[in-house]
Amino acid sequence: MSTKLLICDDSNMARKQLARSLPDDWDVDVSFATNGEEGIEAIKAGKGDVLLLDLNMPVMDGYQVLEAILAQDLPTLTIVVSGDIQPEAHKRVTGLGALDFIKKPVNKEKLTEVLLAYGVFSKDSSQTEQVDPPKDTIQAAHLQDKTAKPAPLEITPVQTVAPQSNVEVSLSSDLRDCYQEVANVAMGRAGDLLARLLDVFVELPIPNVNFIEVSELRMALRDVEANESTSGICQGFISAGISGEALLILNDSSFKDVASLLNYQYDQDQGTELELLMDLANVLIGACLKGISEQLDIDFSQGHPVVLGQHRKISELIANNASKWKKTLAIEISYSIENYPIKCDLLLLFTEQSMLALNNKLTYLLE
Amino acid sequence: MSLETSQLNELHWLMEMLHNIDVGLVVLDKDYKVQIFNGFMENHSGLLPREVKDQSLFDLFDEVPQDWFERKAESVFLLKNKAFTIWEQRPYLFKFDSYRPVTGSADFMYQNTTFIPLLSSTGEVSHLCLLVYDVTDNAIHKMNLEQVNEELAILSQTDGLTGLFNRTHWENCLQAEYKRWTRSQHSSSLVMLDIDHFKNVNDTYGHMVGDEVIRHISSLIREHVRETDVSGRYGGEEFTILLADTSLKNSYVFAERLRREVEAAVVKYNDIEVKYTISLGIAEIDPSIKNYEAWIECADAALYHSKENGRNKISLHPKQG
Repeated sequence: MSTKLLICDDSNMARKQLARSLPDDWDVDVSFATNGEEGIEAIKAGKGDVLLLDLNMPVMDGYQVLEAILAQDLPTLTIVVSGDIQPEAHKRVTGLGALDFIKKPVNKEKLTEVLLAYGVFSKDSSQTEQVDPPKDTIQAAHLQDKTAKPAPLEITPVQTVAPQSNVEVSLSSDLRDCYQEVANVAMGRAGDLLARLLDVFVELPIPNVNFIEVSELRMALRDVEANESTSGICQGFISAGISGEALLILNDSSFKDVASLLNYQYDQDQGTELELLMDLANVLIGACLKGISEQLDIDFSQGHPVVLGQHRKISELIANNASKWKKTLAIEISYSIENYPIKCDLLLLFTEQSMLALNNKLTYLLE
Repeated sequence: MSLETSQLNELHWLMEMLHNIDVGLVVLDKDYKVQIFNGFMENHSGLLPREVKDQSLFDLFDEVPQDWFERKAESVFLLKNKAFTIWEQRPYLFKFDSYRPVTGSADFMYQNTTFIPLLSSTGEVSHLCLLVYDVTDNAIHKMNLEQVNEELAILSQTDGLTGLFNRTHWENCLQAEYKRWTRSQHSSSLVMLDIDHFKNVNDTYGHMVGDEVIRHISSLIREHVRETDVSGRYGGEEFTILLADTSLKNSYVFAERLRREVEAAVVKYNDIEVKYTISLGIAEIDPSIKNYEAWIECADAALYHSKENGRNKISLHPKQG
């Protein structure tokens, strides 16, 4: 009898990556759910003996799913697969009954190792019922395994020739999903460092990916209050064919809390605030770029950070650099910190030109 | 040339480049003892590599703040992440002289720095590399630009002859005050004043004396207003004073004091002595006044009333609220 496996993740790319990373010789019947609510339904419908669960999802997140499984005593073995790699997140999900925690992006070896460790899957093909199936069943299982795998992700054709400057770039929903997932993993890395630096639990959002006019950039900043006074740092980065800027924007009201978390003597002079802003920028921008470069196998050079402004309205911070680019791929990540009113926004802005190279890299990632 | 020689050559060239590059390079171990120190550091500090080898950075350079430096460095060691510092947060790490001792205006070299984690073979961060960039010219330019912009901003708001706000800026302030009033309903009064028979002063004594009279009334206004009041030159010999949080009655006290002082004063220019008087009109904001322009009209009407009734007088705009 094949194992009923449920993959619950809001990202199409992540679901497919997971499905591809399953052990080859596992007799498994895979179903998918795109958010926690669907996930719970599927478990109730008997499609989830084993559940591979993401944490950051719309509608109902992974924590809520775990709580529901506990509360309703649903028959499933859960392994969390998440980009949120804070030790605290790990602790929380195991506290809620998850068997283990695998960090994104998953690879076959790690997934197999965890599945083996909990006896969910066994290598000698004896399966959970501990009955040696005859050889032809194994072959059948192989077949079934193959059919269970989703079709490869459709992605806009990649141009291998040098792009013309007037080439029209657009963001399909498949690609947006890919970017979102890459950002999700990178954001998790940065969030983990932030959590360790401040010794807090960082609440990770779902990254917001948009291909927008530079003039619309302000509107992309959904979590920064229009009237609040903010301070910002920007830092350029470049790698062959891919370049952009990272912007870190902090609400001025957050400085006091950040200062106390970092054990800074806060004396309201601008010096301390700039120190704090730089410390946060170093950690978040550095880790996020590293997360992206590891996934896409590229290496970024980073320029020196530049102060965009202090104690200004958000529109004034961003207004300055709006002339050169027409469109930008904007990835917005809003970090907030549990039990503190700290809000900080990290924006990764890629040039229109970079998207061709990025799209190329993403297709490699999907192969 | 064998492969080995060519590799050795490349290594040698690389070393030569690092030694000569115009960027400071320092490698520190976990105890902040100097391991490598390139030519830039050597020339600017006057210390030889053998003098600094295995010495603590903080013993060698008093100006490096130990707490601050360790905080940055520890996050690099712990998080395996690069860290950057910029001159705006700390003008320099090492107190080096500026590169242009003769034509430059900076007293020291402004620096940006980068902390780079260096991994040992086991993947641990065992050392860190410090890059020191000279950004003196950038820093000086940026600071000059900011200063000039500030001066320009002030200049664009100021009337050249009197040093009071010019009409445009003063009207902006009035508009803001009007808006504030619509929210807070705190009383606020507007005083307009005009020098009586100013044309006669100019015609009799010349414009130099006329200007002196204008400067005289301006400095009297400045002496009498509080910091929160906003005074401006509205036209040729017409002035406006916005008295925040001040009722009509208190504004009258202010205006009367000013009127008397002007009446008693003598303006001297070389051997010419001039006496002059002013007429004033006051309007307190009230709900019948629908915008800031109307507020000006009310004060102006009161001023006109003073002029019509013999000058050297104060008239109040009747309250209609």
